[in-house]
Amino acid sequence: MKKYALRRILLSLFTLLVILLVLFVLMQLMPGSPFNDEKLNAEQKANLYAKYGLDQPIFVQFFRYVGNMLTGDFGVSYNISKNTPISQLIQTRLPISIAIGGMAVALGTLVGLVLGIIAAIWHDTVADTVATVISVIGVSVPSYVFALALSYSFGFRLRWFPMLFTAKQIFASSVLPSVSLSMFTMASIARFTRSEMLEVLGSDYMLLAESKGISGPALIFRHALRNALIPIITVLAPLIVDLMTGSLVVEKIFSIPGVGSLLVTAIQSNDYNVVISLSFIYSAMYIGIMLAVDILYGIIDPRIRLAKEENA
Amino acid sequence: MEEHDKILSVRGLDIAFRTTAGSVHAIRGIDFDLYRGETVAIVGESGSGKSVTMKAAMGILASNASVKGGTILFSYTHADGSPETVDILKKDKKWIRRHINGKRMAMIFQDPMTSLDPTMTIGRQVMEGMIWHFKVTKEEAYRRSLKLLQEVGIVDAEKRMKNYPHQLSGGMRQRVVIAIALSCNPDLLICDEPTTALDVTIQAMILELIRRIQRERGISVIYITHDLGVVAKVADYIDVMYAGRIVEKGTANEIFYDPRHPYTWGLLSAMPDLDTEDERLYTIPGSPPNLLYEKPGDAFAPRNPYALKIDDRLGPPMFRITDTHYAATWLLDPRAPKVDMPPELRARIARMKKEAGLIAGNE
Amino acid sequence: MKASAQQAAAPVTDGTVFYPDDFELKNNADEIRIDSNFAAQSFWKEARIRFCRKKSAVFGLAMVLLITLLAIFGPGMNSYTYSGQDLSRKNFAPRVPVLEDIGILDGGENISTTTGSKKLNYYQLKKLDNVYYWFGSDTFGRDIWTRTWSGAQVSLIIAVAAALIDMVIGMSYGLISGYFGGRVDSAMQRFLEVANGIPRLVIVTLLLLVLSPGMLTIIFALMLTEWIGMSRIARAEMLKLKEQEFVLASRTLGAGSFFIIFREVLPNIIGPVITQVMFSIPTAIFTEAFLSFVGLGIPVPQCSLGSLISEGFNSFTTHPYQIVPPIVVMALLMLSFNLVADGLREALDPKLKEM
Repeated sequence: MKKYALRRILLSLFTLLVILLVLFVLMQLMPGSPFNDEKLNAEQKANLYAKYGLDQPIFVQFFRYVGNMLTGDFGVSYNISKNTPISQLIQTRLPISIAIGGMAVALGTLVGLVLGIIAAIWHDTVADTVATVISVIGVSVPSYVFALALSYSFGFRLRWFPMLFTAKQIFASSVLPSVSLSMFTMASIARFTRSEMLEVLGSDYMLLAESKGISGPALIFRHALRNALIPIITVLAPLIVDLMTGSLVVEKIFSIPGVGSLLVTAIQSNDYNVVISLSFIYSAMYIGIMLAVDILYGIIDPRIRLAKEENA
Repeated sequence: MEEHDKILSVRGLDIAFRTTAGSVHAIRGIDFDLYRGETVAIVGESGSGKSVTMKAAMGILASNASVKGGTILFSYTHADGSPETVDILKKDKKWIRRHINGKRMAMIFQDPMTSLDPTMTIGRQVMEGMIWHFKVTKEEAYRRSLKLLQEVGIVDAEKRMKNYPHQLSGGMRQRVVIAIALSCNPDLLICDEPTTALDVTIQAMILELIRRIQRERGISVIYITHDLGVVAKVADYIDVMYAGRIVEKGTANEIFYDPRHPYTWGLLSAMPDLDTEDERLYTIPGSPPNLLYEKPGDAFAPRNPYALKIDDRLGPPMFRITDTHYAATWLLDPRAPKVDMPPELRARIARMKKEAGLIAGNE
Repeated sequence: MKASAQQAAAPVTDGTVFYPDDFELKNNADEIRIDSNFAAQSFWKEARIRFCRKKSAVFGLAMVLLITLLAIFGPGMNSYTYSGQDLSRKNFAPRVPVLEDIGILDGGENISTTTGSKKLNYYQLKKLDNVYYWFGSDTFGRDIWTRTWSGAQVSLIIAVAAALIDMVIGMSYGLISGYFGGRVDSAMQRFLEVANGIPRLVIVTLLLLVLSPGMLTIIFALMLTEWIGMSRIARAEMLKLKEQEFVLASRTLGAGSFFIIFREVLPNIIGPVITQVMFSIPTAIFTEAFLSFVGLGIPVPQCSLGSLISEGFNSFTTHPYQIVPPIVVMALLMLSFNLVADGLREALDPKLKEM
């Protein structure tokens, strides 16, 4: 178990380094220089370069870069907000994105689990068909289509929820965006849960439990769910990533001041620095989540947690 | 012995399965009885329906099964000693789970690796049944489970209680499965191919274990197997099944020393034997019928070198040979020609008798 | 076993007819050796039957074909082009010749103003009796029907091209990695894990910043991200088949590694591979649409479903009909491919325990 965890951690760190390298290389390829050159003369430029170590050889620059990124010093923005430290731009936005994203994950996972369990227990009945249809639609239709549809029907027509995000009605205006984001997660988890549950329900140990006389909820929860849920954790990491992608457009549609809409704006205004910094943050989050999920899985599944011992 | 010692009585059992390929008529009319303390072996090839019969008795048939007819009468006594007989096919699942499964009838399955829940400790799995049926306290359940594990021959039982299934060897896992089966003191133990997935050396140990438990607790055992070697060691009575029907039934001696059905001849001939002088291994030609199709007549006819013309038209009834020995083959009809078992088989049986006589003589 | 309740101890005599030759031996020594019980059915035929039995899969397939046909022939069905602008006819509601007589799609739309909603019909206002825009026109007066189906064309081309290239790359990578095993496999898998650690979003965004946007760039970006899934499947299948005897037989006959990989094993894994391709097409459509929405997609005047949605977004509260066709087409497309892929997966690998 320890070896397993150690290997995963090392791999994650290595991946992060590779990403930083890629980002660094891209930085060098970007047109323009790190500072607003228009107002500077040659001497000031030279000074600034020296200060930020831009006259050093590439390797040194890279190490500095790595150090900076890892400590949160992302440099400054060019176009969105001239010379504002990017970390400042991100600071207020990151919590909002994480909050809405978190709600979406929680909602999606819960509803998805329930749908999947229902579909599996009552498989090949109406309930199963309904749940499956919902799942397929949820997986096929992009989150922003849902966002638009929900925004139009519940926001514009029915006026149940505000169409745009406002800090004054944080809760109410987070509902539509979270629901839109959660659809894909919910549908994916529902499908996966259904197939895992079906496989578990048909297994020999379920038969043994039934032959012992166990029935009803005890059977489902104690035996089936525990075994079916373990693999579900493995799909959680990619789902969270998809959530991050979806958040970009959803944030734009609902005008949520989060990291996603920042990235969109940065892309559209060619603010490379911001794009690269945000890419790094997304990558780091992704790698972190994957690592956490891997280790969590190792803890939950007794087959990995406890190695085979000597036996008679 | 009297009537009231009968535990299980199956009459006219008829079961079909709805599959995507159509309706598979798996059980086509089965009668058999089991009395207290006996060991019965149900023998047949894969697909003959042996497991399905017992799963029907336990009420754990797959959801696409449909029982088309028959009765399964099970007799037991309540806690206060009053006797009771029920038709299991008429009871709903919940009732069966509550009153029969585990408590009066228990089953052990073929593959101990997949029979145990991989995410639950051994201890919990053994204790689960007791707590469910008898509502004992956890401490009491723990105590009893420990004793059970020791009874089935697991050393350092305390340590094993905390282990997970994947940490045990195959033989140990099967012992655990047996312990689980015994945990609620059933009257009937059904063993579905209990040794097929185990090494030969462990096989003997498990069979010996089951036999010992049977003697000590006075329970009845049904073995489901395709391995005649296993049968020879443990069975009092043998039912030979083919294509969803019982084709021959009798005591172990009768079946081994005086088989009458050509299928039984085939099974016995196919057992490899060190003393065989033949140059070729005998196998029953052809393969078992596809139960999707209903064919009139004797299901074994297409593979039967001793088939009669009537076998294509009419299925044979059960013919009585002795009070305990019956076979369903037209060869036993008085009008049928005198057909004897293949000479190689006759020679082998003579050998077996001589060995048995020798062993019995060398006391 | 006691005899008490045993019946049928005597031969059947209740009216059963017996023929004189009933009790003769059949002497069928030759027949019995023939095994005729289980008719062999080709794997593909069975798979096709299973697929067709699943109504959702058939529906999906029908939709895919329908949309593809419309994508090819749709733009030509009327006289408009996808880029021809006519600013005097901007923001017209949909008007369809036959249906307008029943009252739907007659060119009228409800505009909500500060004083309540009003029904406007620009066709009538401008006295354009013979002008029809089947899906309406956009803010530049372009025909949405033509643009939708041209956009569908572009989206489909991108998605299928990307999926197919992915298939080639991913499959080769996975097959090679799985076949050679050992150090080669270890190294290739490590590389894959690192590549997998970089979020798709990041790769795609960065690529599109560096290279100029266009169909080829998008296909390239998609290609870089999807091959991982395909290679996993290919490798898993290879590991399953590697030890089978036909591979061993081929090797003993002297076949080289690449021959074995591509001529022996590959044809056997077509099933899961096709399924995976079917699954990756909706992902590609989605990613492309997402890129367009964000501004990194197809440059004007060419359009794709994503760019149409992006354009329509700006006016979706005032003229919702502008965004509906591309959204419906895209959602249907993704849904249909998913249904087909689901059906394929079940058809090629049924897992149901039936007894």
